[in-house]
Amino acid sequence: MTIVAASPTTTRPRASATQWVLARLGGLVVVLWAAATLTFFALRLIPGDPAEALLGGPGSQASEEALETARREFGLDQPLLVQYIAQLGRYVTLDFGTSYSLKQPVSTVIAEQLGGTLVLAALALALAWVLALGVAVWSAQSGRVAAALGSALEVIAVALPHFWLASSLVLLFSTTLGWLPPLSGRSPAGLILPVVTLAIPLAGFLGQVMRESLLDALSSPFVLSARTRGETSAGVIWRHALRHAALPAIGLSGWAFGNLVSGAVVVETIFARPGLGRTLLSAVQARDVPLVTGIVLVVALAYSVVTTLTDVLDRAADPRLRTVVEA
Amino acid sequence: MHLHARHTLALAVLGVSALTLTACAPAETSGGSTSPVSGGTLTYATGDAEPTCLDPHVGGNYPQALVATQYLESLVSLDDTGTAIPWLAESWTESDDGLSWEFTLRDDVEFTDGTPLTSAAIAANVAHVQDPATGSSTGYLALGKVTGVDEVSDSVVRLNLSSPDSALLESLSQPWVAIQSPVALERDQETNCESPVGTGPFVVTAWDRQNSITLDRNENYNSAPADAGEGDGPYLDQIVWRFVPDSATRYAALASGEVDVIDNAQPDTLVAAEKDNALDELDAPRPGASNRIELNSGKAPFDDVRVREAFARSAAVNDGIASLFFGTADRSYSALSSVEALGLSDEDLFTFDADAANDLLDEAGWTERNADGIRTKDGSTLTLTFPVSTNQSIPAEQSLFEQIQATTKEVGFDVVLEPMDLSSWYTALAADDYDLVSAPYTKVGPDVLRILYHSDGITPAPSGYFANHSKVNIPELDDLLTQASQVTDVAERTELYADAQQIILDGYYIVPLFDQQNHYLYRSDVKGLRAIPTVYTPTFAEAWLDR
Repeated sequence: MTIVAASPTTTRPRASATQWVLARLGGLVVVLWAAATLTFFALRLIPGDPAEALLGGPGSQASEEALETARREFGLDQPLLVQYIAQLGRYVTLDFGTSYSLKQPVSTVIAEQLGGTLVLAALALALAWVLALGVAVWSAQSGRVAAALGSALEVIAVALPHFWLASSLVLLFSTTLGWLPPLSGRSPAGLILPVVTLAIPLAGFLGQVMRESLLDALSSPFVLSARTRGETSAGVIWRHALRHAALPAIGLSGWAFGNLVSGAVVVETIFARPGLGRTLLSAVQARDVPLVTGIVLVVALAYSVVTTLTDVLDRAADPRLRTVVEA
Repeated sequence: MHLHARHTLALAVLGVSALTLTACAPAETSGGSTSPVSGGTLTYATGDAEPTCLDPHVGGNYPQALVATQYLESLVSLDDTGTAIPWLAESWTESDDGLSWEFTLRDDVEFTDGTPLTSAAIAANVAHVQDPATGSSTGYLALGKVTGVDEVSDSVVRLNLSSPDSALLESLSQPWVAIQSPVALERDQETNCESPVGTGPFVVTAWDRQNSITLDRNENYNSAPADAGEGDGPYLDQIVWRFVPDSATRYAALASGEVDVIDNAQPDTLVAAEKDNALDELDAPRPGASNRIELNSGKAPFDDVRVREAFARSAAVNDGIASLFFGTADRSYSALSSVEALGLSDEDLFTFDADAANDLLDEAGWTERNADGIRTKDGSTLTLTFPVSTNQSIPAEQSLFEQIQATTKEVGFDVVLEPMDLSSWYTALAADDYDLVSAPYTKVGPDVLRILYHSDGITPAPSGYFANHSKVNIPELDDLLTQASQVTDVAERTELYADAQQIILDGYYIVPLFDQQNHYLYRSDVKGLRAIPTVYTPTFAEAWLDR
């Protein structure tokens, strides 16, 4: 678990809290720098000329003058290292540049598309938690057969690829039953299928982790002592064991968020839903360096924020961590 | 006897289809009107990429042409025989030396921003397309021979050419050189990309990126091309143009009635739609080149015509098309699309014949075979690199390539399929890293042959792009194509293009597959939909909803 690093042995708790925040911020800067650097060089090393992205996409039959104008305007005639440093310099001043293919400021594009993806990811994460908790609690309470069934459901759910799940849900709920629209667009009803598509495999994953630690917890001494104090079976699970069982799942939610963003690429495409995932896909295909880097930075930032949040939540759920900092 | 039997069979088939038709006749719904009804919103779901700019002068690809057809119009159009007909220009004359053309414009047309259509507008549009800052590629090529524009009067404009151009009218009919308001063109590019202003039946009113473009009716529309119906369109209040990249989702949305028209309908959905009475199909093959496999004759092993013929003879294309396209595509034996009046077909050249292929390869010296059954010669194996653009080749076409890979292996070819995205694909071509390739090319008229097979097309453009992937380099062919591009006499032009195509086919530089597929599906209560016979984009100028 990631929490180990946050268990300082120092005797001055105040300083350790500040240190923790500083370390977090420093880590964030390193992550963002690494993301920007990797994206920049990866995109420039794979085949394809960004100048063509500027002039109507790959295979453009642009004239020499047009290409030269574009290269000059966007600094593509400079050595790669100069371009890289110039780009980092712009990021330091929070200037994300202009998208080659969309001819719009990257910040505008991201601002337009970020909301859709965040809502999708947040709802999917929430639904995955509800499903995972439900199955874990039910199967832990209901004996061997239920446990085996729950475990099987989770394994199947984890293995379902997003594109297959999405197509099957459309076939069932849109084509056959006619209950839900196949196109997501910006409508609330259109959110249901994409959210379910993203939530099911994730729920399987979280559920596996949760049920295992739930069963562990149920067989540990503190549960026995709770039972001897007269706690009901449901009370044992909800008030004592679950808190224990949720810990690894909380830790994994940071990872889950990253998984959801990559899933969004598939889901947004299949359900024709505006969002960052789809923007990223077309930006990569167009070799649109500023836009891809911008999106990667935003996702890296969001990922770091979520990981930090899960650490804080871990502390809330696990008094052992809290006492270290607050003692 | 034989004839008689066939006759009976044909009658039986007719009888059965008549029965089926009766059985399938749609039940009378709330609509059923025979005269157009005004009003309503039509939703169009496109599978093409979202344009990055709605002004098709910028760049210039098919997705732009599709949507621009609804709000921009060209100087001339074509009828379904390929003959030029009036649109924004009501008449034109070519000078005797072929070096200038005078167009007389309609004098009653206004752009939707109120600017009148005058010769100054045409001059501004030509200048805009030819300005390097615009970044036009397709339109730029179309106007390649235009050296200057004279405003003879308000309604007469003269285009001066560097050499006679028999393809000028065909070039001008394309949406990539459509006429926009000169006032609107003076705005910065980002603005003009978001809201180009034309004379068409609809007006761009909103663009919600990644989701939809909203087009509202042009209430003052009066400039339909000469082959339009007698109607009083546009009838639709609004078109919502949605971007739905996934084929199955697009079809599900159409079947459920969430959208009214879809493009890029794939073979499986076309078959499904045939069984659905609420759906109809518009099949509008694109003009220009047929979809074909190009054989790189610029290097071994395809620098030997016998090896090229052996490949063509051992590729079981017909079986593949039958099993993968379910009758939605017909085999082509021509370098040109079937909508091109001057296309030449030669079926006999491409008959499947594995024995002949084996003999040809033996003759060419590929006599040994390695452990995998692949032929070898002087230590090199008969390996063919085939980069496949997953953006341009639909799944059924990619499967067809796999079948061709299997059947050509029987005679000893080792075809290596390399699926890749568009940027990587163009890079592979520019690096001459291919023996086989399939590249669509849409252009109106047979002049596309000059772009694809004239030796000038081997030299890459500054961007690395070149169109002569087969690397055909025959002086006699160059002469024919150059001559044909300058001769306006129909009989002479027809003969020149026939000779040119025979040379291309006889040399096995290409293996034609089928027309560039362009299938639309729409709900049966959408009436008055048609494709404009230039680049075959659908127009909604006369469309109405019978509901």
